[in-house]
Amino acid sequence: MFWRLVFQLLRGSRGRLGVAILAIVSGAAVISALLNLDLGVQNKLTQEFRTLGANIVISPASGAPAQISGAEVPSLMPERDVLAALQQLPSAQVSAAAPYLYIVARAQNIRVVVAGTWPDQAQKLDATWKLEGNWVRSREDQSQCLVGRNVARRMQLALGNPLELHYMDRSAQCRVAGIVDAGGSEDNQVFASLSAVQSLANLPGQIGVAQLSVTGTAQIVADYAARLAAALPQYQVRPIRQVTEAEGALLGRIRLLIVSMVLLILILTALCVLGTMAALAMERRKDVGLMKSLGGSISRIVGIFLAEVGVLGAVGGLLGTILGAALAYWMGLRVFGTAISPRWEVFPATIALMIVVTLAGALPLRMLGNVKPAEILRGE
Amino acid sequence: MATLVQVENLRKEFGNVRALDGVSFRVDAGEWIAIMGPSGSGKTTLINILGGLDTPTAGQAVVDGTDVARLDEAGLTRFRAEKIGFIFQQFHLVPYLTAVENVMLAQYFHSTTDEKEAQQSLERVGLGDRIEHLPSQLSGGEQQRVAVARALINHPKLILADEPTGNLDEANEEIVLSLLRELHNEGHTILMVTHAPSIGRLADRRIEFAHGHLVQAAVASLKPELA
Repeated sequence: MFWRLVFQLLRGSRGRLGVAILAIVSGAAVISALLNLDLGVQNKLTQEFRTLGANIVISPASGAPAQISGAEVPSLMPERDVLAALQQLPSAQVSAAAPYLYIVARAQNIRVVVAGTWPDQAQKLDATWKLEGNWVRSREDQSQCLVGRNVARRMQLALGNPLELHYMDRSAQCRVAGIVDAGGSEDNQVFASLSAVQSLANLPGQIGVAQLSVTGTAQIVADYAARLAAALPQYQVRPIRQVTEAEGALLGRIRLLIVSMVLLILILTALCVLGTMAALAMERRKDVGLMKSLGGSISRIVGIFLAEVGVLGAVGGLLGTILGAALAYWMGLRVFGTAISPRWEVFPATIALMIVVTLAGALPLRMLGNVKPAEILRGE
Repeated sequence: MATLVQVENLRKEFGNVRALDGVSFRVDAGEWIAIMGPSGSGKTTLINILGGLDTPTAGQAVVDGTDVARLDEAGLTRFRAEKIGFIFQQFHLVPYLTAVENVMLAQYFHSTTDEKEAQQSLERVGLGDRIEHLPSQLSGGEQQRVAVARALINHPKLILADEPTGNLDEANEEIVLSLLRELHNEGHTILMVTHAPSIGRLADRRIEFAHGHLVQAAVASLKPELA
């Protein structure tokens, strides 16, 4: 009988409750959209930030440069040490990782910085580079290299041209697969496969630096760097603060904005429900007086009305959450250019919030406790 | 016969107005009493106190061994659910509940609901074909018969009817009065407020009020021939 009463109450007051449910659906839709955006934006933003390049750098501990074959080269570290440490940590968080060995070689009698790396990973680390031609797809491919646009201009290199590199008494040749326009120092460098540069420099298995792009918030990146530092105590592991901090600050500001908006909407929804419920409580005074005269206790009567309001909150919350997920999807496409998928945890959170807010808005029902049945039945 | 209602020196004041002033009378179980008197004489106030809808300023109102004046809010609620069946002049049905649901509402506040029993109660008052109708789809007489079915559903000790035919046409008045006669013949105790002497004469006794005083009691009913 309880739920039958609740259903009939809802049906009987559908006109007035329609206003309340409209407010709840609207509130829930915006809250659900904001929460979906909040969670989705974190992923999208971290992806966007990853295109800015590496956010963790591993390098040898600062010290005197190494002396190799009489030439002074920066401190080096074994490639296998770094790879072993990376394998110990969860690979899912690392979106790209590349070792680098930098040497200063000569080409066409011009000194040029040559970076030996894994070109396939460098492409992921430096997604903002503009490239004319093609990336070198395989890290084992020693026959192809990339040249910076300044190098190409000075040496009058075009795609497909051979490039001969000399380092001390050794030399290596590669064909220009692509010309890099990075807008930075990379425009003055040549990028070849790590193994080719190690052979040229006669530094087998040595690297100068490793760069990683770790997905996640600033805290996740800092945690990952700390664990990597613990695994590689002999080397220096540094998060690149400009990137991680900018990302953290932006995410923090977005979250603050979203939380403020959610609170504001909750208050507005509660006020709207409050107004409707105050009018409804006045309307229901006669029914309550009658129910009391039939032996209904006030707790039992108000319980029926609260269940009615709870159902209203749950149904409004559910409809609004679905609508909000669609809104977040559309906003994701408009703002970020990619769809933001609905997060399942948003559904119960939004519905629970709407039930709480609706019950808070039902405070005027408390005044029904003061209804005197004799007065109501007399028509006062 | 055992006394079901005993009122002793009952007083009720609304500010400076004395609605009941030292009223005393007794009603035996199974009696049909007509409470009569002009408007403002205290009839409805008496019914409200006996039904636990209002509390007296002083005096005693004992119904089935319970002094209503001594009950707290929760006690009054249980008292109304268990011992009283109300029939109001304005019917007072919940507009968004069907006829059977209005009857079940009284069951719900009493103990548990039994839809079949509620339907039988409506069939008894001749509304077997109006069970799923809303009050707005029923005539005044039909609404009052739903109210009678609701008043009877919990087998109350005392039926309090406040001008039960006051809003009905002659035909429906007759239907409701014959229902009350049936209830009386079955042994129910009925206290009925009425203005109409013709209706008052149907009762076993008439208690007449004026300005909050009982002016005439224990008047033998003339019992018209239609009884």
